[in-house]
Amino acid sequence: MKPAPTLSTAFLHPAGQALPEPLLALRKQRGSALVDMPLPTRKTENWKYSSKYLKLTDDMAISLPAEGKTGSSLAVPGYKVAFLNGVMIPEACEYPDLDGISIKSFDDLSDEEAADLADRLDSTLDNKAVQMARLNSARFEDGLLIRLKPEAVLDQPLFIVHEVTAEASGSAFPRIFVDAGRHSQITLVEEYISSGSAQVMVNTVTEFNMADGANITSIRLNMEGENVQHIGSTGVLQQRSSRFESHAVGFGGPLRRHDLQVRLEGEGAECKLNGVVVTQGKQHYDNHTTIEHVAAHCNSEETYRNIAADQSHAIFNGRIHIHQDAQKSNADMNNNNLLLSNGAEIDTKPELEIYADDVKCAHGATIGQLDEISLFYLISRGIGRREANVLLTMAFVNELVEQIPVEAVRETVQGRLSHFFEQTFQEA
Amino acid sequence: MLSIKNLHASVEGKEILKGINLEIKAGEVHAIMGPNGSGKSTLSQVLAGNDAFEVTGGEVTLNGENLLELETEERAREGIFLAFQYPVEIPGVSNLQFLRTAVNAMRQHKGQGEMNAAEFMKLAKEISKQVDLDPAFLKRGVNEGFSGGEKKRNEIMQALLLQPKLAILDETDSGLDIDALKVVSDGVNALRAEDRAILMVTHYQRLLNHIVPDYVHVLAGGKIIKSGGRELALELEERGYGWLGIKDEDTADSSAN
Repeated sequence: MKPAPTLSTAFLHPAGQALPEPLLALRKQRGSALVDMPLPTRKTENWKYSSKYLKLTDDMAISLPAEGKTGSSLAVPGYKVAFLNGVMIPEACEYPDLDGISIKSFDDLSDEEAADLADRLDSTLDNKAVQMARLNSARFEDGLLIRLKPEAVLDQPLFIVHEVTAEASGSAFPRIFVDAGRHSQITLVEEYISSGSAQVMVNTVTEFNMADGANITSIRLNMEGENVQHIGSTGVLQQRSSRFESHAVGFGGPLRRHDLQVRLEGEGAECKLNGVVVTQGKQHYDNHTTIEHVAAHCNSEETYRNIAADQSHAIFNGRIHIHQDAQKSNADMNNNNLLLSNGAEIDTKPELEIYADDVKCAHGATIGQLDEISLFYLISRGIGRREANVLLTMAFVNELVEQIPVEAVRETVQGRLSHFFEQTFQEA
Repeated sequence: MLSIKNLHASVEGKEILKGINLEIKAGEVHAIMGPNGSGKSTLSQVLAGNDAFEVTGGEVTLNGENLLELETEERAREGIFLAFQYPVEIPGVSNLQFLRTAVNAMRQHKGQGEMNAAEFMKLAKEISKQVDLDPAFLKRGVNEGFSGGEKKRNEIMQALLLQPKLAILDETDSGLDIDALKVVSDGVNALRAEDRAILMVTHYQRLLNHIVPDYVHVLAGGKIIKSGGRELALELEERGYGWLGIKDEDTADSSAN
């Protein structure tokens, strides 16, 4: 039997030596643990549809240069933080000094702050389940630490633009850690964009550590080009009565992968996870979500919708794990999928593991095409076929797009959807 | 206006319409009655251009133009309107957006400019009052969660907005209580015009008390077996379909309904 492929040692040499010593030490320690790390193959259950698209050749191991110009597709009305190839660009950031809220790049942390962060990085993620997050921990060159003191409220959304410049092959390793104190509140938008056309990889980790009553709305936009593989992980750790809301919107690429793990650790915590994925051409998009109901009386609500056109492939794997003590858990997961062509493929797998006996747990998954009767109804009113197709496809995701609480983001998403419709539905 | 000659149509290889002949002039109201499965709904769907039905023979012209060669949306733009027996629910598309898109598609076809959102809203509110629909319905998804009566009123509202040349009403009275029937009938009567024809398809004659037809036709087994004036409907109500040599449950294809 052929031995399983392992991560090339070329990946074990991080750039970015400006980090404070405790973070450099952490990174080194995480790196040494990656020696001989087996890479996912099609026999790896949670990578079975996507492993063949994962390209970790030695040219991908090169760090993309931490300099250049940034731009965003968002007309940003709130506060803004800009990262280029995983490194903060201070001159492109716009946010005031805020009472009770600290927004700092990892490079700017004192040794004491860095030591505290080093103790807590990776604490929200189950690293066995998200192997690729471990690579980020060994390679991040900078990062964003957001700390909210108890009761602190950010009055406007914080836009974090992560851009990669793909002039030559290589990778970037964006990293975000949010520490939300008791009853603090923040809305943040992570937007991932790219310029250039070389084959590159973006490997991200975002972590949310939420104290009692904290309230976070997280919006994630995957808007990179056709040359960008994106492998991202998000970990959320929720204490008592905290609330996490996620809106993940992604457009496809050669490989897009997002692992979202939410751990409801304090009683009364709740999360709402919405996702919209649109793929076309030969694009590939793989969403894996896990919700751990650890404590009793927690609620989770999840709705993901995929639209796959042409020969593209979308995957949804949603796991809900209700632990033995998590009585009175309430979990509801839905995944609806729309195939726009005979060549498109969608795979969906709900996984429920329930060890408590007094819980409410529901899941539903559908895969279908545009409804012929609805289409006939629309065109029988004189509406053109193309427009009817657009209306029905938009309707499929509109409910989720409308729920995104930031107008600039909704507009950006609607713009990208219009572009997708133009390419997908030809004039009759 | 509408001329149907020896029309044959089938669904999934089964012939439902077996030679329909019908002439409708502008300004006229025709009622087609018949037992379940006689082909009434099939005729409506074929005229509107539903691809699920295959025309196997005959011809249909609208003001001299071959209707069967036109796509569904072209037929609508030429003035064919079908009020559905079962209006479709489309969550995610607001009723307002749907109606405005339809009206603007028509206007564009006629070489008129598009109506902007504010202009259209004003018009839509007016017409929704005419069919006694709360304007709040405009904001909801198309027919989403509407009661049976609300759906039918929404159909009539669309007819009033789109101002068709030929309005085909497929079992528009089904599922309506007496008050809703009155509202819907008033809406249909408001549609009556010199330059417009109305074709009503109905199982029962009660609708015809409110919308008085000029002609009544009995469809059975895929053919029109008897035509007459208004009095034919009354006679059918009194005597049923039996005296015509057909049974009410005589089904050519009950699934076509």
